[in-house]
Parts: sequence; structure tokens; C-alpha cells
Amino acid sequence: MDLFDVGPYELSEAIKTTMLRQRLVSLTEHHIANCADYQKLFGDIELGSIKQLEDIPFLTVPLFKQRELKSITKDHVFKVLQSSGTTGQRPSQIYLDAQTAKLQSRVLVKIMQEWLGKQRRHMLIWDHPNVIKDKASFSARGAGIQGLSFLGRNHTYALNDDMSLNVEAINEFHEKFSDQPVFMFGFTFMVWKYGIQALQASSLKLNFESAVLLHSGGWKKLQDEAVSTDTFNTVANDCLGSIKAHNFYGMVEQVGSIFVACEHGYFHAPSTAEVIIRNPETWKPAAVGETGCIQVLSALPESYPGHSLLTEDKGFVVGRDDCQCGRKGTYFKVLGRMAKVEARGCSDTFERGAS
Amino acid sequence: MKQQASSWQTINEVGMKPKLTRFADHSFFAFTSQLSNRLIRDAQARDFPDLVALGYWLRNANMQKIAEQYESQLIRPLGHVFHAAPGNVDSLFVYSGILSLLCGNVNTIRLSSKVGGSADVLCDILAELAPEHPEVSARFQLIRCERDDPKLKALQANVDARVLWGSNEGIKALKSVETPAHCRDIVFAHKISFSVLGIDALLRVDKPTLQQLVEDFARDNLTFSQQACSSAKWVIWQGNEEHLAEAQNIFWTALLAYLSSEKGRSKYKLTESERYQALNNAQDMAMAGVVSGQMHAEQVVRVWAKQLREDFSEIHRGAGLFVESHVQQLQELNRYMTPAHQTMTYWGVEDVHEWLKDCLVGVDRVVPVGQALNFDVVWDGVDLVTALGRVNSQ
Repeated sequence: MDLFDVGPYELSEAIKTTMLRQRLVSLTEHHIANCADYQKLFGDIELGSIKQLEDIPFLTVPLFKQRELKSITKDHVFKVLQSSGTTGQRPSQIYLDAQTAKLQSRVLVKIMQEWLGKQRRHMLIWDHPNVIKDKASFSARGAGIQGLSFLGRNHTYALNDDMSLNVEAINEFHEKFSDQPVFMFGFTFMVWKYGIQALQASSLKLNFESAVLLHSGGWKKLQDEAVSTDTFNTVANDCLGSIKAHNFYGMVEQVGSIFVACEHGYFHAPSTAEVIIRNPETWKPAAVGETGCIQVLSALPESYPGHSLLTEDKGFVVGRDDCQCGRKGTYFKVLGRMAKVEARGCSDTFERGAS
Repeated sequence: MKQQASSWQTINEVGMKPKLTRFADHSFFAFTSQLSNRLIRDAQARDFPDLVALGYWLRNANMQKIAEQYESQLIRPLGHVFHAAPGNVDSLFVYSGILSLLCGNVNTIRLSSKVGGSADVLCDILAELAPEHPEVSARFQLIRCERDDPKLKALQANVDARVLWGSNEGIKALKSVETPAHCRDIVFAHKISFSVLGIDALLRVDKPTLQQLVEDFARDNLTFSQQACSSAKWVIWQGNEEHLAEAQNIFWTALLAYLSSEKGRSKYKLTESERYQALNNAQDMAMAGVVSGQMHAEQVVRVWAKQLREDFSEIHRGAGLFVESHVQQLQELNRYMTPAHQTMTYWGVEDVHEWLKDCLVGVDRVVPVGQALNFDVVWDGVDLVTALGRVNSQ
């Protein structure tokens, strides 16, 4: 059985863990042999002593901003993905070779087919078309849109450059495809603010009969506006028609490994990925239900050492294999970023880049 | 662009022109003893150990004692002193400010925009005291403004001395501001500190002494999340290497137990993001080859450095990260010392002062573990009273 061929939510815990562990141990070995920085940090690890997934060493995510981490030579670099770094920060740099890029698409398609079906749907993107042209903002938003575009056809952008509704484009798309399977995609906050809320304020009435809306990008801003998942989904149905909305959790450091939220609002780890929650005081794995830092494991990264990452996000595992939706695997909740405290050296009298 | 002129804010405005006074004027003691009372009794101030410590330092008996030590030197004021307060230790600026006030100087203190917490409480108290002590408050003006406020530049063009706390970049920027030729600059730049623990002494230690040691160690190094310059970032094990692992085990086990206890938890709260930062910092240092890849990351992060390095201060960002190394003899440290090495705390190490005589570069201050944050009239090897006054040669 091949980890990449099996359905993403079919494997039960025992089998998945064994298969994933073998793959992750061999990736660890591969990165020790091929990435000098990784070797300096983890070269002394006894690979034979890795008995469980939690024994796989993990990297803190900011290292991809701080260092050039890759397990391939320069001439094998096929594409460099960049995260949207916050101002003043260097973005993450993720080095892909053709093989890892191919593996990412293959797994992404497999996961997406679970939610979209095998047929390519007509695609409505809740963003403006320049987001994939504009180099500055290309990063996360652009890459997300590009990465998912090949799952759809008749791509239509719902927004104008100034983030206002492109009424003409939406109407045309609606007229043509409202009774056909539609795939909508966007960043959670954009979909809410510039899509759903703008539609509410306008006189546009849409009634898609069979649409799936996938959105990602975090709830922080929505939480600030006190918008719950239920509110989001209810209002989305009110102004768009019959919509199945799924949030998903993923990051540029592990493209292809995405965690899609089911009908019950829980993120699901596919067979090629896993999450482990770690207690930030001891960094040991937390019990089911206990909140901690989210570690993400992915079977995909070969060209860069990103197969086991400790994120700055918090969350908790809800259960394994027994979600009411029927899908196997670990299912969990994400609670957002750790509260940042500004590090204060004695560096105050000179603030870098002061206004 | 921010409106620079409008951002100038005086915290304890009294609407009075400041005047110089004689050394140890009675108005000084009236002010400091009342400030001391407030800091020790104020419900809000009591939440901040640094303010309580400041309150004790300001006790009338202690202020009188310091004044007496300098009485014979006939100290007279320098004039107008500008203080640039640091951003990491909220209340540190008060110590140099108060000693300057003792000397009879007029003081303007620019607070860091980053300070909060204890400094805010302190500012409230100082503002409340101002109407009762107008003359002293006029000589002790606290301000907030942009770093490049033109008014701040104009002020520095007319001062007689400056006390500059800050990062190396910050100090360099301040040094480029024009001051009178006679202006005396007292500079406290970025420093790094370390702690030396004796291996043999740890093997023989009894329980209460060990408990005291780890509590003192935690106070020194975790009170300001390891951000204070005098908090150790580096732990040197001195003595017989054969027993190193055993000594480490005794010490760290006791420290972790203390930090996990209710008492330890209530005093030292490293945030999740600080803990994450320490782990990330350690991994980055390991990838740079500065420390070994094996690390312990429970409560605090610790990593091993086979070779001592001069440049730890550049890459170590604190927040509960200890780099450990070993020496057989203290003398082995000397070649790694730079002027950036400030405080050495020690425990269970013999002949420290004998060693210090021949340690010619670095190490401004050697104190037992537990006293790293204690403010002294002498700081970074500078006697602040004589530095902030004019001493009469007899």
C-alpha cells in the first residue's frame, strides 16, 4: 500500500502511524544527509530510537525565515515559495524541486477530490485578478489561488482591484453556472468582508444550487468581529445559495498537506499528514483535548527539511478516527496564533525603522 | 509621518523652573523617603518585584548612608543632566536619576516608548508626588517623546552631562547628537553576563542550600525574562569534568522543580511565545554551529557550547535560554572576555577575587548568584555619584 495512493481519510490510526513513521524517518535521514544546517542540529539523533511519530525531531517554523534550508543543490531548484512575512520580517523561503512540487500537486488533488468530487467545477475566486500578477502580494494569497486553480475551470474573479464586487463578472458567472457544480475559493476574511458582507449590502441576490466554498487564512480578524463558524456559514448560505463551506488549515511551509474542516467544523489530518499538540512548557505531546502548540507532520517535503514543523499556532486534538463525519484520522481545532510579546532588549533608544 | 512637536509629554510637570542645589539637600531626603514609602506600600507597586526592590533601596537609612560615604569629597552638581532610559528593565533609570538628584543636578529623563508595566506604575506615583515636592520634581522631570524630537536635540545641545542606557546602535545614534564640548557622557551600552557554578560544591550541596541557589538563580535571570544585561545568558561549569554531568543534573532538576512549583510559577512567567522564541533561537544557534544540536527544552531551554565564544551577545536573545560550557579553571575564561562582558555571578567557586585581579578585559562586576539585579552605586565599573558630580580635590 502506498501512502500517496490511499484515500486521504481511509486509514485507521495504527496503520497510518506505522506507514507515516517509516516515511518520516526516511525523510529525516534524507535531510540529515543532504541539508548541512539540518545535519548540525539533528545529526546526532539515533534514527533507530524513533519509535513513535512524536519522536521525529521538529523544526521551529521561523528557521525558514532565518536560514536558507534546502536539501537539493541550486541547479535543482524548480520554484521558491515565499510566505507573506509581516512588515520588517523576512518571508519564509521554501525551495522546491520538480519532484516535491509534483508530489504536492498529486496529494493536494487527492485531498481536494474528497471535498469537490472528481469533476472539475466552475471556479469563482473571491479576490481580484491582480493578486496573482502583483509580485508584492503574490506570496501566500497568490500562491494559494494558483495552487488550487487547476482544480477548477472557467476561473472568474469576483472582486475588482479596489476590492469592490465585480457585479458584472459575478452576474455573468451566476447566469451561466448557478445550476451547475461550482467551486469557490478565497481567504476567509476576504470572503467575509469583501464577498459576503458586500453582497448583503448590495441588492445582488445569488442562488447557486451546488457550490463548495473552500477558504483559509485564519479566523483572527473574524474573531475580533465576533463572527463564528456558524454565523459565517449561515450568512454565506443566505446570500450565495446552497453552499457547503469548508475552512482549511495549511501553510506555505507544507504546501499540499492541508487540513480541511468537515461538516462538524473539525480539521482533519489526511493520511499523508498528522498533527501533534505540544505543551509549551515541556514541549512534550499533550493529551487529547489539551491545548498547546501545533506540530505538523507531512510526508511530502523532500527538497527542503519541512516534514516536521512546530508552528506558532495553538490548538487541540478532539479525537482520532471517530469523528461524526465518518472520516478517519486525527481531527482537531485551531485556536489561532500564540499571543506575541514584543521581545525587549536594551535596544530601546534606537528603534529600527521608526516612523 | 507623526507630528513630532506634539508628541512631547511631561509626566510630572510642576510649572516651575528647576534650580541646582547642594549635595544631599534635605529636600532630596524628604522626596526619596516618601517615594520609598509609596513603593513599599502601594498595592499596585507590590505586584512588581523591581519596584519593591527600588522602594527598599530608597529607604531613608540607605540614602543617608550613601550620602555619608561621599560627604568628605565635597561633591557639587554638574548641572543639567539628560538621561536616556533603557527599554528592557523598566525601573533601572530611577537609580542613576536619583543619584544624580543627590548630587544636586537638574535632570531630564526620557523614558523608553517600550516600557510599560512597572514603569507606568512608577510614573503614576511620581506624578502624584509632584505637587508636594515641586522643587525636587522640577529637578527630576520625566518625559516621553520621539527619539528624534527636535526639542530633545535642542535640549542636549545645552546639557552638562548625559547618562545613556541602550543598545549599541542606540548609543551610537545618541553620540551623534551635538552636545557642548564639556558635556560628560556616561554610557551603559549592551552587555552580556554569565554565571559560574562550581561542580564540586554542587556534589556536596545540602537541600536547603540547593533550594536557595536555584531560587537566587531564577531571580537573577528570569525576573525580566532574561532581558536585563546583568542576567546570565551563559552558564559556565567550573571544576572536574568527570563530575560535570552529575552536577548539571542536580542543579537543573532542582531549578525545573522550582519553576514548576506554585511559588516558581507565580514569580516567573515566561510566555508561550517567549518559550517558543528561546527554542527557535537555540535551533538557529545549533544550525549556525555555535552550540551543539542536543538540547533540553523543559521550562527553560539549555544547549551546550563546547567552545566559548565572544559573540554570544550578538545572537542570544534571552527569554529562558541558557548556553552551557565547561572550564577547569577560571583562567580559561580570560581569553574570551570582551568589554561587553558585564556581570559574573558565581556560586561554589573559590578565589574569585584573586582571579579577577588578573582578568584585565571585561567583567565589570562580580557578585554571588542572587545579586545580579541588585543596583549598586557602582555600575559597569563606574561610580555614579562621583561621575555625576564634581569632586573637590583636597
